[in-house]
Amino acid sequence: MTRPLLTKDELEPTRLRWRRPRLRLGRWSSPLGITGAAVAVLWIIVAIIAPVIEPHDPLAQNLAILQAPGHGTLMGTDELGRDVFSRVLSGAGVTIPLALLLVVMSVLIGAVLGAIAGFFGRWVDELIMRITDLVMAFPTVILAMVIAAALGASLLNAVLAALIVSWPSYARLTRGLVLALRQSNYVVSGQLLGFSPLKSLWRDIAPNIVGPILVLASLDIGTAILLLSGLSFLGLGAKPPTAEWGSMVSDAIQNFDSWWLGLFPGLAILTIVVAFNFVGDALRDALDPKSNTLRGGGLTL
Amino acid sequence: MVFRSAKTRIAVGSAAVALALVVTGCSSGKTTGSDSASKTLTIDKAFDLKTADPGRMYEPTGEMVDKALYETLLSFTGGDVSKVAPGLATLKVSSDSKTFTLTLTGTHKFSDGTAITADDVVFSLGRVIGVKGNPSFLLDGVTVTKKNATTVVLTTKTATPALPSILANPALGILNSKVVKAHGGTTTDKDSAEKYLNTHSAGSGPYVLSSLNLASQVVLTANKNYDGSDKPTYTRVVIQNVKGPTQKINVQGGSADVALDLSGTQATGLGSSIKVTSDPSANVIFLLLNQNPAVSKITSNPYFVKAVKESIDYADLVSIAGTGTSQAPGVVPSMFLGALKSADELKTDAAAAKSDLAKSGYAGESVTLNFPSDITLNGIEFPTLAQRIQSQLKTAGITIDLAPAPVATELDAYRNGTETIGLWYWGPDYPDPSDYLVFAPGNVVGLRAGWSATADASISKLADAATIGGSNAERASQFQDLQKALNSSGPFIPLLQPGNNIAAKSSVSGVVYNAVWTIDIAALGSK
Amino acid sequence: MGETARTVRASHPFLRYAGRRVITSILLVIGVTLVTFILTNLVPGDPVAASLGQRAAEDPAIVAHFRAEYGLDKPLVVQYFTYLGNLLHGNLGISTTTHDAVAADLAQALPATLEIAIGAIVLSVVIGVVLGTVAAYRRGKVSDHVLRVVSLAGLSVPTFWLALALYYFLYFKLHIAPGSGRLSSDFNTPHTITGLYTIDALLAGQLDTFFDALSHLFLPVLVLTLYTVGLLTRFVRTAVLEILDQDYVRAARAKGLPTRTVVWSYVLRGASIPVLTVVGLAFGSLLSGTVLVESIFSWPGIGSYAYQAASHLDLPGVMGVGLLIGVMYLLVNLIVDLLYGILDPRVRLA
Repeated sequence: MTRPLLTKDELEPTRLRWRRPRLRLGRWSSPLGITGAAVAVLWIIVAIIAPVIEPHDPLAQNLAILQAPGHGTLMGTDELGRDVFSRVLSGAGVTIPLALLLVVMSVLIGAVLGAIAGFFGRWVDELIMRITDLVMAFPTVILAMVIAAALGASLLNAVLAALIVSWPSYARLTRGLVLALRQSNYVVSGQLLGFSPLKSLWRDIAPNIVGPILVLASLDIGTAILLLSGLSFLGLGAKPPTAEWGSMVSDAIQNFDSWWLGLFPGLAILTIVVAFNFVGDALRDALDPKSNTLRGGGLTL
Repeated sequence: MVFRSAKTRIAVGSAAVALALVVTGCSSGKTTGSDSASKTLTIDKAFDLKTADPGRMYEPTGEMVDKALYETLLSFTGGDVSKVAPGLATLKVSSDSKTFTLTLTGTHKFSDGTAITADDVVFSLGRVIGVKGNPSFLLDGVTVTKKNATTVVLTTKTATPALPSILANPALGILNSKVVKAHGGTTTDKDSAEKYLNTHSAGSGPYVLSSLNLASQVVLTANKNYDGSDKPTYTRVVIQNVKGPTQKINVQGGSADVALDLSGTQATGLGSSIKVTSDPSANVIFLLLNQNPAVSKITSNPYFVKAVKESIDYADLVSIAGTGTSQAPGVVPSMFLGALKSADELKTDAAAAKSDLAKSGYAGESVTLNFPSDITLNGIEFPTLAQRIQSQLKTAGITIDLAPAPVATELDAYRNGTETIGLWYWGPDYPDPSDYLVFAPGNVVGLRAGWSATADASISKLADAATIGGSNAERASQFQDLQKALNSSGPFIPLLQPGNNIAAKSSVSGVVYNAVWTIDIAALGSK
Repeated sequence: MGETARTVRASHPFLRYAGRRVITSILLVIGVTLVTFILTNLVPGDPVAASLGQRAAEDPAIVAHFRAEYGLDKPLVVQYFTYLGNLLHGNLGISTTTHDAVAADLAQALPATLEIAIGAIVLSVVIGVVLGTVAAYRRGKVSDHVLRVVSLAGLSVPTFWLALALYYFLYFKLHIAPGSGRLSSDFNTPHTITGLYTIDALLAGQLDTFFDALSHLFLPVLVLTLYTVGLLTRFVRTAVLEILDQDYVRAARAKGLPTRTVVWSYVLRGASIPVLTVVGLAFGSLLSGTVLVESIFSWPGIGSYAYQAASHLDLPGVMGVGLLIGVMYLLVNLIVDLLYGILDPRVRLA
């Protein structure tokens, strides 16, 4: 559940000071951040070139079934005689783009609604914030199951379900930032100069909230991957025969003794999520050193 | 502050615990204790349990539970469901198969010690009909009348040769009518005894219900007043809801004595301390190809149907499913009267498939295969099977698009006959081939395949003949003829009869698979 | 929030604030029921098909009886308002899967989930506070970096995978942990008082049952803890760092007070409110976030119930779970908000 805890701004709304986002390369270049970025980039490259480097067709059922790693395959074969290694590689191309899509969409929707709420205040604010409350009070799994049942199980529908529950954290963060900035001298003076609300939002406020949002987004990519693979694990996401990591782990349960079926896709999820989390953490140190954005919390499912 | 109060809380908590221990003294929550005469048996089953009330129960888990709690008028011996044996009563059938006279043997008693009377029988059967629950259809068109204190007569308007085997179904278990009535039981849909029957049992079976949680476990204890032939060895039985793969770990790890839902692959390599009983189950997994041109111009083409039948590699599907599974010879499972022999089953023929596909005018269009994504039948997962079929048909040049959906939603499309190609299974309602007449044109499953009553006159004629029946030998050949015709020109493709694998510790004896109630818990012994 | 705020005429501004929040929460609960109701009715499947057997669903009389029994024969609007009306009496309807009152079902499932959620949150707070404080004090040192890696890794493990792996190794391979479920099968369920098996066993004085129940908690709690510890460690570190920056803490340290005293009396006390907030919310999400863990350990809690209800299109069941989780979440939020209202008077004016 990408249910965020409070951001620090909400905890202490008045203490927030405006800060121009500044990249401090010294901290950003922490070894963890670099390692994370390297692993993440590596996975993204894999996602792009997977069709070329796969030793077998990830969908072809032409090998001996349930073969342990080593007999001509790197990670063994599954219950239908498909090459696990090729499927793990192919899974990168399935999960990563969708996780990125999910985060980008959440940011767009959340930031726009949050900015509107924070900037216009009054009933607009009240309405949007109560909607975020409503969404956050709603259990993700039920939502995903209902959407999967209504629209059919597919990864895109899983993204849709995840999107519905994940935009509010951005709306809340943006609202908090905008709310604090709205009163600041330079925004007020801009308005006195005759800036329209839109121009004021775009020119004076937007540049100052990019940092924290970026940090939250980078930390959220990992959460998004966990959420999507968790939904696939429950059979609410990827459709067979798509090679998706969560559903591969789910298939592995059926053949417990064949440890390689679950180990490798699980490790794939783990490494990529850790990588993105390292990057996000380093980004936070660089862009938002006092940690205004606390990572969205709660279990993925 | 916070931590100080947490400390205080811990202190208070431990004081309370200490006090509780002192006050109550230390007892044991263990059931077995040191008494060697009492034994707990743990059975792992993937639950599909909805109720333990026989009048409403119609799921495999419920059949197994109610078999232990209730006795039926007639029964089966061991795993043989082709012959009906006496149960609480003996049977006399009229020559036209319309009048069934049941005489209570009088040797059995309810768990509260009272005798079983004809009134109890009339009430129990009347209740199944009246509450309009899942098993009500079993007694459709049956009139129950009491003749005297020990005799009940069942009459039907049409010949019902299957009725004796229906009467062996645990859903028709005989309830203690006084007890059930006292807890809201009636023979109408106003009946409110289900709640009581989910916490207590009111039957004469070898066990009584100790507790029931639909999501986690059912606990049975031996019925002290039981004096039938099935006297239980284990005084306490725990049936716990565990998924197939975990069952394997549990039975190997020792926390379960019997595992009921292992797949063929899971059932191999369990070691010498575990004995696996593999039998073909009575389930038949089949494909249906919709014959309604409005649903699909492609699948309604007879040559396309033929091509698909010839393209599927049945032996390969059997090997994917693993130990115990065999190819389904026809829609009727192999252990029933009228089942086909393996010589009559569908055969793979790539060359014929190629020419038939050409004749059908199929040009590589993508055809949708709908299937329930969350069904695991005897350890066979439907998504796995569907992917294998997709891959096999791809080799034959047929493009299949998989469309999984949760069974709860997919059932609607299946029952409305809107699936292009569907992957489903039929589990018998009672062990008689007449249950399979639903596959005829214009009947329930036939319509689901878009197969109208007028679609195939020759098959309809064969089905009509089988409905009327006759002697066992006549019925067998009628159903075989029907199935041969179905195999050659029907819209159904019988694929697999999954193996039912029961893994039990070698110390547990008497494990016998029964197609109706899976296992008779009371028959399990100890070595 | 104008209108409802003005309807509450409390003399004290805090009471007015509290009243406003309570009313908002009630409106939100109704919103949750409405959304759940609409969503579940959007599903194309028919609860009749999902609940009745093959043959029963073919019989119009049985289908009609089923629809009437569960009120499915009435228009949707009527169904919804009937539901709301029943809700006022604490009646959540009858589940179409268990044929029992949804309220009773939830009362049975909730303690199972509570038991692992409480276990996980207690363990996480203890570990998270210690690790977070250590990390803050050792800021920039090796131990801080190690703890950062550990807590980030904890946040990154897919729970469903970890649960499986632990079950495989600790139970199946090494026989350290017990099997699935809440209790070994040769134990009787302790007499229900709280519904928490560990507590009930203690109250009944059955020590062996207590230890068996406790051992069954081990794996699910461990899996859930790992994630929450990662979260709390990061948060406590930030909160403690902030406190360490405060003048009064600097003064205390400059005075030469022993570190122990500074940590207990100043730092943790100062950081406790923000940390408590996060703990409350983490607990809330633990309650609704156990579906995967419950499904792997055959744990009969809220998550399993939700999954079962949703897969059987059991409308009252799904509504009940949605409502329960919604209420829990809002309750935690409400408490947090009110706490802040008490501690920071400025919030009331917002």
